[in-house]
Amino acid sequence: MISVEDLQAFEKDIGDCFNRAEIRAPIHLYDDNEEQIRKIFECVNKENDWVCATWRNHYQCLLKGVPMERLKSEILRGKSMVMNLPEYKIVCSSIVGGIPSIATGIAAANKMQGKKDWVWCWLGDMSAETGAFAEAYKYAVAQDLPITFVIEDNELSVETPTSVVWGNRQKWYLNRATLDTNGFWTAPNLIYYRYKNTKYPHAGAGVRVQF
Amino acid sequence: MDLNKKYNEELVKAMNWLGEQKNTLFLGQAVRYAGTGMFNSLIDIPDEKKLEFPVAENFQMGYSLGLSLNGIFPVSIYPRWNFLLCAADQLVNHVDKITNMSSGSYVPNMIIRVAVGTEIPVDPQDQHKGNFSEAFRSMFKTVNVVELTHHDLVLDSYMQAYESSGVTILVEFPDYGK
Repeated sequence: MISVEDLQAFEKDIGDCFNRAEIRAPIHLYDDNEEQIRKIFECVNKENDWVCATWRNHYQCLLKGVPMERLKSEILRGKSMVMNLPEYKIVCSSIVGGIPSIATGIAAANKMQGKKDWVWCWLGDMSAETGAFAEAYKYAVAQDLPITFVIEDNELSVETPTSVVWGNRQKWYLNRATLDTNGFWTAPNLIYYRYKNTKYPHAGAGVRVQF
Repeated sequence: MDLNKKYNEELVKAMNWLGEQKNTLFLGQAVRYAGTGMFNSLIDIPDEKKLEFPVAENFQMGYSLGLSLNGIFPVSIYPRWNFLLCAADQLVNHVDKITNMSSGSYVPNMIIRVAVGTEIPVDPQDQHKGNFSEAFRSMFKTVNVVELTHHDLVLDSYMQAYESSGVTILVEFPDYGK
């Protein structure tokens, strides 16, 4: 599996490219969640499972098996936010709350066709508060679909503090969650963890780029 | 000839033909349980080809897209254009755009079936009888919109929508011939 250092080096390289105005599209870089996401990917079947994610997806792509050169090439031609690669069974959406329903449909198709493949669907803390996620999650659990939603909580939606604007209360999807030995909160069809990305802004890499 | 009856007969033929195709799945509200005019066109379709879905229009559209990316051909049913409006995000941002976003690698194949609400014999007023075909055409880059304005168009249009690559919205007019 790709190392923590290689994940971080990839994001730094992409950030540098962006700051040199080599990417004419937004990028969203990860930092400080490498251990958690690698731990989750220990359960992902790289060949057969589906990975669904958002606009922040470089780590998922690399851990799913997309070669660094290929991923960088896609990013350089502006595809960072919309990384959709059927040969790696990767589907991404850059609309908040856009991906859970698609992922649920993919999982349902697996079940209908008797396939054993699993669906791993990533989303952030603000997306997890949407009705779109609530509908998909409720349905997936009730229908016993082969899907796990992974909620990564960095406490922010762009710069908006998620828990403040939603009223500072217990996250509804953690009502039945328990803490596992890896430090993840888990509930049926759901894994949750927190991280703090202090290295990169929501989008870009810290330099105001003029094209 | 009763043109409205003829129109409905063509719809039944079209649905039965789609039902014979191996990978199709009919989903939406009132596909297995009565309740809308569209139910009557599906009575010959076996239950295992029909998925009664919660009323969650945007979720249904995203779910249908997910099915289509993974080997199923959804016939996603919305009884009114006004209800399909609630699925505009998934329809415009995802179903219509995923082919371009993936540089042509993902090409969903799907039929979206929708009706303009009937006004005869009872008028359901403004929230149930809209026809937004033209407005949505202006937002689409890949999705086709076909208005079934004549009974002769019905069967051929559904067959063509299935056999051609991509996503087609077929718009029905239940008041046809009345």
